[in-house]
Amino acid sequence: MNPLELTLGIMTAVGGFVDISELVFAAKAGSTFGYALIWVFAISTIGIIVFSEMSGRVAATAKQPVFNLMRHRLGLKLGLVTLAASVIANLITCAAELGGVALVLNYLTGAPYMLMAVATALAFVLSIWVLPFQWIERTYGLLGLFMIVFAAALIAIHPPWHQIAGGFVPHVPAGLSTKELLKFGYFVVAIVSAVMFPYEVYFYSSGGIEEDWGPKQLLTNRMTAILGMGLGSLLAISILSNSAQLFGPANVDPSLPGTAALEAAIPFGKWGLILALLGMFFAIAGAAVETCLANAYSIAQFFGWIWGRHKKPWEAPRFTITWIVLFALALLIVLTGVDVMVLVEFAILFSILVLPLTYLPLLLLAEDKKYMREYVNGPVSKTLGWFYFGVITLAAVAALPLYFLTSGGNG
Amino acid sequence: MARQWLLLFLPLLACCSKGPQADLQYISDARSLAAEWALINQQASEGKLTGVYVGSMHQWLRTQLQTDSAALTQPKSAYGAEIAALLQQPDDAAPEALSAHADKLKHIEDALESA
Repeated sequence: MNPLELTLGIMTAVGGFVDISELVFAAKAGSTFGYALIWVFAISTIGIIVFSEMSGRVAATAKQPVFNLMRHRLGLKLGLVTLAASVIANLITCAAELGGVALVLNYLTGAPYMLMAVATALAFVLSIWVLPFQWIERTYGLLGLFMIVFAAALIAIHPPWHQIAGGFVPHVPAGLSTKELLKFGYFVVAIVSAVMFPYEVYFYSSGGIEEDWGPKQLLTNRMTAILGMGLGSLLAISILSNSAQLFGPANVDPSLPGTAALEAAIPFGKWGLILALLGMFFAIAGAAVETCLANAYSIAQFFGWIWGRHKKPWEAPRFTITWIVLFALALLIVLTGVDVMVLVEFAILFSILVLPLTYLPLLLLAEDKKYMREYVNGPVSKTLGWFYFGVITLAAVAALPLYFLTSGGNG
Repeated sequence: MARQWLLLFLPLLACCSKGPQADLQYISDARSLAAEWALINQQASEGKLTGVYVGSMHQWLRTQLQTDSAALTQPKSAYGAEIAALLQQPDDAAPEALSAHADKLKHIEDALESA
């Protein structure tokens, strides 16, 4: 295990953890329910660690990416349904991320939002075309580390640490009305979905194959998943806690993604604001690139095309055309003028519906000794895997009713 | 069976309803926008924000408020008037004035929620 590679991998995972949905829902969760939803972030983070580690292990030992498994395990018809649903979910997520990046650029430069969306999409296409896979991942992930300013801001505002610690204990706040309980339930589902987005696992496992992981990389895989995502989650929890401390008492229920940047501006002034906006820019940009590539990976793997950024773009022509078309479609969605916050809500909703179908084939393969040999799921991975499969299935069943009953958490 | 159909259609009915309850989400959104606007102007007056960020946020806040105002099923209500008054404020309005609007909308919101 190369310590430099490991450190870079962990830092990339930390910087790339937060995306537009986590940013929005962490800020809203803090202002609406104080510290009471921290435990949902913590539990969901363990879930994404479990499935990321599992998908990395499967990629390293069985050399199988998620969508290849899906077709074989679910059959063609159900596999196609899952593919269609996940492509829609990822496309909406990609549009939300692209819109989010354009918004942040608008906050930073004042340039028109639509123009920024077009420029950003072109820059993304160029960066994926030019940079090798590892550098695509690392450039955005490492620069996303500017998000650490949110953790520094939390320390600077001297929050009630005992209340934050209490937030890690699973509970529902006492004295909520039925309406508030439903809203709390909606936030629980939304946070589970935002943290466990399916694109993260598609991207992570495909990345393992892009980088030609083998059994030697299993420890790096485990450390990156546990430390990278664990520490990344602390950034999301910092955003939530800052919001609970600064926005809740001021009656602010962040309606714009840019409001979150105030969390760093209040203690640190202009430099805090600029660092927060830069962190948001790179973290959301990284997520936009990952969602687009994850979608292209899914389609190419399902239909058995040649795929991967380790190949020159013209050596995998259908894969290349797919990711370019997907970026163009995401841009078209943004150019319709649809609100980024609405896109975030739809991304959350569609993603949670796809999650159980994404993780089931992965779980089944990771338990199959024929493919996994001595790297098959142990008792801990097995228990946690099925526990989280139950959690996401419950969340998927509850998502639509809660969305309508709470008007997307706004009513 | 009838109960299951009712449960299925209740959310749809809620989406299509009119009146203060249907407007509650827009009132809540407008209250938050007013409070965000006040917070931004307060921080800007302390020199903690860049001019570009403040200008951009003002533009988005106003656009969002106009969307909320246009979506109200009862624009001639007390809350409709409050949102309209908020939209009349200049971008650099005093934080206290904006907070006063946010407080009034919060009162209306709380009253409707407990009704």
